[in-house]
Amino acid sequence: MIEGAVDFDWQGYSLAERDWRWQRVRDNAAKAGIDCMLVPLCVDGRNLHLSLEQARGTRSDSRFLTQLENAAVILPTDRRPPIIISDQERGNDWVPEFRPIDGSWGKSMAQALIDAGMERGRIGVSGNRRGFYTHGRAFHGVVNHSSYVDMLKRLPNATFENATEVIGHARYVKSEEQIACLRRGAAVAAAGIEKMIELAKPGMDEGILYTEVMRRMVSLGSEYYPMAFYSGLHGDARLPRFEDPTEGRVLKSGYRLANEVDAVFGGLIAQEQQPILLGPIPDTWKPAIDAQRDLYYAALERLTPGSAFGDFMDFVNSFGEKRGVKSLLLMHGRGYGDDGPLFTPQNRGDRNRDVQIENGAVFIVKPIVKSADESFDTSWGGCVLVTDKGGEPLVRRTPGMVSIT
Amino acid sequence: MPWKTPPGAGATVHIWSGYSLAERDRRWRAVRENAAKSGFDCILVPLGNGVDGRYLTQLRCSAMVLPTDGRAPIIIADRRSSNEWSPEPWQTGREWAEPMGEALLDLGMERSRIGVAGLKRGRVTHCHSIDGVVNHTALAQVMSRLPNATFEDATDVVGFVRYVKSEEEIAFVRRSAEVAAAGVDALIEYAHPGVDAAMLYADVTARLLELRSEYYPLTLTLDPIGAPRPRRYANPPLGKRLANNAMIVSEVSAILGAQLTQVTQPVVLGRLPAEWQPVIELQIEIYQEGLARMRPGTAFGGLIDFVHGFGTQRNMKALMQLHGCGYGDDGPLVGANFDGDQLRELCIEKGNAFVWKPTAMTADERIKFCWGGPVLVTDKGGEGLFTRTHGMASISPSG
Repeated sequence: MIEGAVDFDWQGYSLAERDWRWQRVRDNAAKAGIDCMLVPLCVDGRNLHLSLEQARGTRSDSRFLTQLENAAVILPTDRRPPIIISDQERGNDWVPEFRPIDGSWGKSMAQALIDAGMERGRIGVSGNRRGFYTHGRAFHGVVNHSSYVDMLKRLPNATFENATEVIGHARYVKSEEQIACLRRGAAVAAAGIEKMIELAKPGMDEGILYTEVMRRMVSLGSEYYPMAFYSGLHGDARLPRFEDPTEGRVLKSGYRLANEVDAVFGGLIAQEQQPILLGPIPDTWKPAIDAQRDLYYAALERLTPGSAFGDFMDFVNSFGEKRGVKSLLLMHGRGYGDDGPLFTPQNRGDRNRDVQIENGAVFIVKPIVKSADESFDTSWGGCVLVTDKGGEPLVRRTPGMVSIT
Repeated sequence: MPWKTPPGAGATVHIWSGYSLAERDRRWRAVRENAAKSGFDCILVPLGNGVDGRYLTQLRCSAMVLPTDGRAPIIIADRRSSNEWSPEPWQTGREWAEPMGEALLDLGMERSRIGVAGLKRGRVTHCHSIDGVVNHTALAQVMSRLPNATFEDATDVVGFVRYVKSEEEIAFVRRSAEVAAAGVDALIEYAHPGVDAAMLYADVTARLLELRSEYYPLTLTLDPIGAPRPRRYANPPLGKRLANNAMIVSEVSAILGAQLTQVTQPVVLGRLPAEWQPVIELQIEIYQEGLARMRPGTAFGGLIDFVHGFGTQRNMKALMQLHGCGYGDDGPLVGANFDGDQLRELCIEKGNAFVWKPTAMTADERIKFCWGGPVLVTDKGGEGLFTRTHGMASISPSG
C-alpha cells in the first residue's frame, strides 16, 4: 500500500544536491573548454508541443539547475556562483534571489554575461540543438528566437557554441536524491495502473476511466502529467492515442488498452506501462507476450555499466529471432523531460550506439515484441535503474498483458 | 513538393477539433485581411507558436504559411495528423525547418515580406511572452533559406482575430465557464479542515476532467487568512492538511472548445473576520460597475483609471485584473505586473471575452480580495458567464 501525499515526508532537494548538479555541469564545461554555460530563455511547452515528453523537456535544464519553472542561467566554469534570471513570483531554497527581467530576456541575459566577464568568452549554450542525453526529440532545440538573437547582437565578441551535452550528461546520471524521487514516481504510476485495472470493463466511459487514473496519481502527490491512453479492437487500424479525457467513447468487450502512465515527483518523470485486454488472451498472442517478458528480464541483465549501447541494441533487436518472433528496442532516459538516449521504432537509436551505459542512469525500458506475421505486438515496461548488477526495476511489477474478463 | 508522413512515424494524438469549416474560413479570411492592411505577403506561424497554430488549424502541433492573396495555405502537421480543416497537410516527424522553408518557397515568397506570428509579445495574444514564442534554430534555418525575404513580427495580425470571438467560440466560452465554476463548486464541497491538500487538488482537477475540460493547472493557496504573501501551489501540495482559518485563493481554469476560462472565488475555512467585509463590498461594487462600463468602444485606459481611482474614495485601494479568454495567453493583460499603459488606447469590442477579477484591498494592502470569472462584452456591457454568490465562501469547521 503506497502512503498518501500527506504522509510522505519529502522536504525537497537538498542544497548538497544543488551543488552536486552545478559542479557536474562545471566539470563537463571545463572538459569542453567552455568559460561558462548558458541556459537561455527556452520556448514554453504549451507552444512547443511536439510530444508530451518534448513539451515537458523545453525548460528542463532550468528546472534541473534551479528548480524554477522558468529561468535563464549563466554558470561560470570557474566556480563563481551562477547568475539566474527569472520571471517567477518568488525564489526557492536553491535560488532565494534572482534577477528579474529588465525589459527583455535578451537584454537581461546579455547583461548577466557581461557582468560575469564573458564579453569575449567562449559560451556554451544548452538546448540549441538536440542532444544525446537530453532534448533528443527537439531536432531544432528549444531556445527562444527573439531573445537569443537580441542577446547575440549585444555580445558581438563572444563565441556561442552548442553545449547541450554538457548539461545533458550531468542530467544522465542520477543522484540518490533523484533516484528516491523516481522510485516514488514509479510507485505512483503503478498505483495509477492498478486503478485502471480496477475500473476498466466493457461499458465504462473512457473519459471517466481516464479521470479516475489521473485523480489517483495526483492525490498521491504526482504533478499532473497527461496519461497517454489508447483503446480499440485488435486488428483495426492502429489504436488511437488520447492525452485528454475523451468524450463519447465507451469501452467494449474485446478492446485492447495501451497506456503510458507517468507520474512526476521532485520534477522527475517516471513511467510505467501495462497492456490490458478486455477479454481472454488468445493463444496465438501468448508466444509474443512470453517472449516480451523474457526479453525484458534478459535486457535488464545486460543493462550494466561500462558498455556501449550498440551491443545492448543488437541483443534486444535480435532476441526475437530465436523465438520465432520479432523484437525492437523501445527505451529512453527518465528525468526532467525529453531525456535520452532515445530508442524508438521510428528513431532506431543508431546515433546512440557509442553512448555508454552508466551506473545511476534511469530508463523506461519497454521493448516491443511482434508475432512473426506482425499481426500482434506487445510492449510492457517500467522504470529501471542501472546498477553494477544490471538493471533494477524501481517498482516491482510483473510483465505481461492483463486480461479483464 | 508536399512532405509525406515519415516512415515509422509515431502515434497520432487525437485532440478536439469541433469547429466548423465556416469558422475556419472566417479565421483565415480575417487573418488575411489584417495581413493585407499591414502589407504582408503572407503570414508564417512557425514552430514554437503552437497556440496560433492550433487556432488556425485545429491540429495539436502545426506550422502554417497563409498567403495574403487568398491562395490556400500550406499547413505542416505533426506525423500522421490531419482533420476536417486540413485534410491533406504536409506531414513531418521531428524535422520542421526544412518543410517550413520549402512551403515559403513553394508559395513564391523568396523576396517577400513575411509576417511571423509569435515573434514578439502581442497586444492581445502571447501577452506573457515578452520575447515571443518562436523556436530559434528552426526559424534561423528558414531565414537562411530565404535570404532575400524579410521577416517581421506579425503577432497582432493573428492576435486581433483571436481577440473577437465568433458565435461558435462564444458557445464554448460559455461551456468552459460553466465547467470552471463547477470546479469551484467541487473545491467548496471538498475543502474542510483536516483534508489532505493533495486529495483536494486531485478532486477539483478530476471534476474538471469529468466534465471534459482539457487539463490546465489549478492554482491555490492554503495559508491562514491574512497571511502576507501566501504560497501559491500549481501542483498537489505534499505533506499538508487544510487547517482551520485557512484561506484558499484559487484559480480554477477549464478548457472546452480550446477556450480557456477561469473562475476565482476565495474560500475561508472558518468565520470571516469582520474587517474583511468593507473590502469585499468595495470589490463587489468595482466588479459590477466595471461590467457596466465594459461597452464596445470604451478604451481600456478609462476602465483602468476607474478601477484604480475607485478605492481611494473609501480610503482603500483597487487593482485592475483582467485578461482574455481564448486559446491561451490571451490579452489584453492588466494586473499586478502588467500596468496596461500600452493598452490605454485599445478599445473594448463586442464579442470580447475576458476573465474579469478586480482586486480590492485595504490601504496598507494587508487584506486583499479578488473574485471573478469570464465575462462577454455585449452592446449592454459585460455579461457574466458564470453563476456564483459574489463574496468569500465561508466553510464552518463542522462542514
